[in-house]
Amino acid sequence: MDPKEMIEKLSAFIRSEGRFKTVTIENLGRMPGGASREIWSFDATMERDGAATKRALVLRRDPGAHKIDTNRRQEFLVLRAAHDQGVPVPEVLWLGEDPAVLGAAFFIMEKVDGETIARRLLRDDIYAKAREVMPAQLAEILAGIHRIDFAKHKLDFLAKPGANAAETEVRRYEENFRKLALEPHPAFELAFRYLYERIPTTLRTTLVHGDYRIGNVIFGPDGVRSILDWELAHLGDPMEDLGWMCVRAWRFGADHNPVGGLGTREAFFTAYEKASGIKVDPETVKFWEVFGNLRWGIITISQARTYIDGLVPSVELASIGRRTAETELELLNLIEWGG
Amino acid sequence: MQDRPTAIELLEAAANFVDREIVPVTEGGRQFQSRVVANVMRIIAREMKLEEPHMREEITALCALLEKEKPHLHGRDELYAAALKLNDELSAKIRAGDVDSGELRERTLKVVRHAVENKLKIANPRYLEADLAAREKRRAGS
Repeated sequence: MDPKEMIEKLSAFIRSEGRFKTVTIENLGRMPGGASREIWSFDATMERDGAATKRALVLRRDPGAHKIDTNRRQEFLVLRAAHDQGVPVPEVLWLGEDPAVLGAAFFIMEKVDGETIARRLLRDDIYAKAREVMPAQLAEILAGIHRIDFAKHKLDFLAKPGANAAETEVRRYEENFRKLALEPHPAFELAFRYLYERIPTTLRTTLVHGDYRIGNVIFGPDGVRSILDWELAHLGDPMEDLGWMCVRAWRFGADHNPVGGLGTREAFFTAYEKASGIKVDPETVKFWEVFGNLRWGIITISQARTYIDGLVPSVELASIGRRTAETELELLNLIEWGG
Repeated sequence: MQDRPTAIELLEAAANFVDREIVPVTEGGRQFQSRVVANVMRIIAREMKLEEPHMREEITALCALLEKEKPHLHGRDELYAAALKLNDELSAKIRAGDVDSGELRERTLKVVRHAVENKLKIANPRYLEADLAAREKRRAGS
């Protein structure tokens, strides 16, 4: 779709959804980042009853069909619930599910200013204070996410985890792995055995963000501004999000700080316990950390498959297939030495 | 036979061009993709040097682990097919719970780790070096 056509369709959509008399769109551009997702930013001047408002907005959609399915409506509704509950997220405005509008389902939300490139957070001087305050902020926000009353917010459509959330997740990803992997991965087989022998009891079922890591945070020099990418949200064991925060790939080499390259596990768990009132068992989080590394490994296979199968002709997706070995090494480290 | 430059030399020339001439004049997504392109070319260059010796090492180690006689193999395709089959057999054993404990488990971990490290020597040697350095540091500290 050329930009002119996209602008026309987008302004017509906003006009009808928001019952505006006129909508003018400027500065439409694709935002960088996200191998499997498209984010467009634009300014919309919207006029109704003689009064015009101008807002900086963001459009979120996925190109083509991906191997690991995501769902725009689900993400939209979860974001709205999180916003209502006081979790820092962009306010979502309109959901467009008719593929005739822009080719794929999408939604529109407010644009939150700030940085999303995690390497800058870990490296640049202007984020020194952010690095200091963010582990506690991220723990407090996560506690808030886990407090969201999913029944009250009608999020019951999210998949239920069954009797044991851990076993459900491991089985789900094992199925994905058996379906997607083109070569044998003995390191992943060892990880599956390790996990099945250590399935923790599910003590409570909460909303789980599902992709909680520093790459999905908008931050400024002052710290966290907004939590993004809710497409993998589901119901499950809240400890899953804590384990995912500790996955090695989100440390960008700052391995001395296992929690997103920012801090220690102990400090993060303590801050989470304080904010949530939920006791953290380090062994359970370790289970989810191993699972998280394995899950990321399976996602790298999945992303490579979208290229191999001819769905998205991206050199980035293709090259991610060669990152699978990184997760295999980390899994062996965790299995043999605990990290 | 082909004349110099070798395939590896050609790839290195192309990767250097992308790094020096394309990356500095692009930005955002395109700059990132350009870096990926240069990286991909370097992966290919390393793979051309190392793939065959790595597969031979892997086949030797897997045959010893699975108590099989090492076959005589010629050419890349035969090596690849043999490595694939042996890894499938090892995977099935792990899945069946045959290597959950004991000496066989220790030997399996060693063989698998070596194969993974060989993959990283091609795909991301810096990641492997950082991992080895961190391990060394931990060993010295403990």
